[in-house]
Amino acid sequence: MTDVDWLSYSLQDFLMFGPQVFLRLFIRLNQDVWPWQLLIVLLALVVPWLMCRPAPALRRLAVWLVAAAWIGSGAGFLVRYFGEINWPAVWFGWSFVAQGLLMAALATFCHWEAIPKGRTRTFTWLWLTGVVALPWLPVLQSGELGALAVFGLTPDVTLAASSLVLAMMPRVLLWSLLPIPLLWVLFSAVTYWELQMVWLLLLPAATVIFFALGWWLNPSLARSRDLRSVHRDPVRR
Amino acid sequence: MAARLTRRQLLVGVGITALALKSPSVFADLAGGTATSPISRTVPSTGESVPAMGMGTWITFNVGNDPYLIENRTEVLKTFLDRGGSVVDCSPMYGTSADVLGKALKALNAHDQVFSATKIWTADESATRAQAESSRSRWGVGRFDLLQVHNLLGWRGHLETLKEMKARGEIRYLGITTSHGRRHDELARIMDTEPLDFVQLTYNVLDREAESKLLGLARERGIAVMVNRPFQGGALFRRVQSESLPPWSAEAGVSSWAEFFLKFVIAHPAVTCAIPATSQVAHMRQNMAAMYGELPNESQRQRMAAFVRSL
Repeated sequence: MTDVDWLSYSLQDFLMFGPQVFLRLFIRLNQDVWPWQLLIVLLALVVPWLMCRPAPALRRLAVWLVAAAWIGSGAGFLVRYFGEINWPAVWFGWSFVAQGLLMAALATFCHWEAIPKGRTRTFTWLWLTGVVALPWLPVLQSGELGALAVFGLTPDVTLAASSLVLAMMPRVLLWSLLPIPLLWVLFSAVTYWELQMVWLLLLPAATVIFFALGWWLNPSLARSRDLRSVHRDPVRR
Repeated sequence: MAARLTRRQLLVGVGITALALKSPSVFADLAGGTATSPISRTVPSTGESVPAMGMGTWITFNVGNDPYLIENRTEVLKTFLDRGGSVVDCSPMYGTSADVLGKALKALNAHDQVFSATKIWTADESATRAQAESSRSRWGVGRFDLLQVHNLLGWRGHLETLKEMKARGEIRYLGITTSHGRRHDELARIMDTEPLDFVQLTYNVLDREAESKLLGLARERGIAVMVNRPFQGGALFRRVQSESLPPWSAEAGVSSWAEFFLKFVIAHPAVTCAIPATSQVAHMRQNMAAMYGELPNESQRQRMAAFVRSL
């Protein structure tokens, strides 16, 4: 095939499934997993409490839970369900699993700073928005309650919420964890755009916004900002 | 002695007349004559007759292992077969479509009812037989009626193997496909030099590049033409979504937009069949209605094309 031929293809030519089939994946997953969603959501709700504790062991536990969510949504939704109708999803699925393992390893072996005290409330509210509000977007798109996208089981909601935790990473480690989320955000945004699923487009958008807000909450950055403000303070000088 | 007409008889009579005028296809199915006979076309290389309306599976049959959607697509296939359809086209490129088709055929026990057409889609020109066998097993058919080289990919090697397979009776027909109006010049050269039974190409009321060369060449060379994207991938319906059918469309044998687009295609004398794809039973009924009744003549076809262009 020549370059000119490739240029004549649109992105839609590479999507071999329709919106109805995609949204049915959420319904099937929820039917197959029920009632474990309840436990998974409960665990997800504990994450901000763990993240905001001063004890490093609790923060480590929070990141392990988030890492498990990556592994669950990768091996479950992406490999087992989405991969049936769209082969790139299988690769993304295993990448999510690898990302989860990497996050767990980093949480185990690296020091993880606590969220600055004045920002724990912001973190908690953002996290709850990600875990409680975002799952309803596929429901709005499909009109079916069964299409709820549960954190830890579906990739977009997992990524959106956990981008808050990713952004908390020490900066040196952060870069190693960014490629897969960035690729997935791009992939899902293009997919939802081409399938004209407007509500679902809010999921990759939320991921970017959450990451930016998480970046602002990052302890080391917050500290450096504080230091800069000290230097600029004419009275202190 | 003249019978008196009661008020009830009068009302029933008026009601039936109104219904007949509103839904001619319902009554056409009940009546005898040409309206009940599906429009068919002849495959030039053998003289075999095939229904002019086939079924594509691109996107619509790629539903994975979803039991609900598999059952739904089985209903779509059943509607297609019940209304006289036969030609079903697929490709290994279409994800799980072949598996879903295989399950639907098994559920309906309809393997013998279909004219099975699929494609070879691999750049490895030595993998023709392996891919054909994989597709055959996924469909659950004894052999394919038609094997085509998908989008000219590795066509030289694949076509040689397909010729051998045809000579041995492993397939009945061979062909080559393109879509979206791509590589028409190269396709024309292949049509000129290779012993093809079928070509598949994109042709619809707006995408009419095939008229300039390929359709005429197909007639000249005795090659059957299967038409993909007759609805321009659904874009034609979006184009007319706020429009009513023009008043003169009834003269062209058209009572819905689906019929409008499909009859435009199958009325071309070089076209053997169109293969629209759908995931809905109601849409399949509309598609299959286009295989019955009158077809537009050439001047009506020109009028149809001009009308859609003007929207």
